[in-house]
Amino acid sequence: MSRCLSDDALMRSHAELASAAERAHLAGCAACTGRSRHLRRDLDLITGVLRDSREPQPRPVSAPRRWLPAAVGLATAALALLVWVEVAVWRAVTPVPPTMQAQEVAAILADVSASLFSVSGDPAAAAPTAAASEDAPPSIEAMARELDSTLTGGEP
Amino acid sequence: MKIDERARDNRQSDVEPSPSQDTLVTAHYGRLRRLCRLLLGDPQEAEDVVQEVFLKAHEAERLGRAPVEWGAWLTRVAVNACRDRRRAGGWMRFRLRSSRLEDVRLVAETPAPSDAAVSADTRRRIWVAFRTLPRRQQEVFALRYIEERPTPDVAAALGLSPGSVKRHLYRAVRRLRRALGDAR
Repeated sequence: MSRCLSDDALMRSHAELASAAERAHLAGCAACTGRSRHLRRDLDLITGVLRDSREPQPRPVSAPRRWLPAAVGLATAALALLVWVEVAVWRAVTPVPPTMQAQEVAAILADVSASLFSVSGDPAAAAPTAAASEDAPPSIEAMARELDSTLTGGEP
Repeated sequence: MKIDERARDNRQSDVEPSPSQDTLVTAHYGRLRRLCRLLLGDPQEAEDVVQEVFLKAHEAERLGRAPVEWGAWLTRVAVNACRDRRRAGGWMRFRLRSSRLEDVRLVAETPAPSDAAVSADTRRRIWVAFRTLPRRQQEVFALRYIEERPTPDVAAALGLSPGSVKRHLYRAVRRLRRALGDAR
């Protein structure tokens, strides 16, 4: 075998994997022996570094926060969805008050007005209801008589 | 009476190590610590593993299961313990944050001759290349070249065939040398 050994073959030789022909060539070739010695020195250097030097601490590199915009977008979308669901649920469960008719509103307003402006404090007396329209409103004298009869036990 | 004697013997063995234990620690502590540091990359973990290995050795001796070849036995147990630690893996997260005071370098410390001879970049490249090797290649390289164990011993320690050890070694050397070549 006249051709010189490749670097791979030299490394195989160092790992005791070389064939008999490669070993024979290495023993007889000065160039390959020199390269093998060079490889041996490299291995010694590697071994020396691993054996004697301190392992350099990797610098803590702050990773770029590429996830931040996505996270913000997702959070916003989640918030919007939450609000939408809340509103939808609120609408679904809240009973809608029945719409009042204009006449009913007028009646209520009349009741309120009668209560506010009644002299005796009795809304029925002041309100222009159907019952009140049939009977005339009692006069002051009638009311006084009624009071007397109540106090005297029915005797006028 | 016999029980009392045995208890006294046990107490004695707890208090002071037997001469063989002492010899074992003296002979193997340094190299096992270096091996574990190399395989784990963490001085504290390496220290813990070495303590664990010597406890196992003590236990084996106490139970009458002392191996014929202590060096190979200790190496095998240490490599297996390192594998277990690596598998557990949780401590790796704290590696950068956990440096013991004695491991922190002084600012004005003079570099060791080996450090001074090799450039910082070359050292960094070699370490990075070693750390990126597969676990098996790291173990083979460490035992064969750093520990300078013969191939059959490496094979026995790792439970591999000698041929497999040689192939792992070849791949490891190729990758490490490539890293060294890049540094030049």
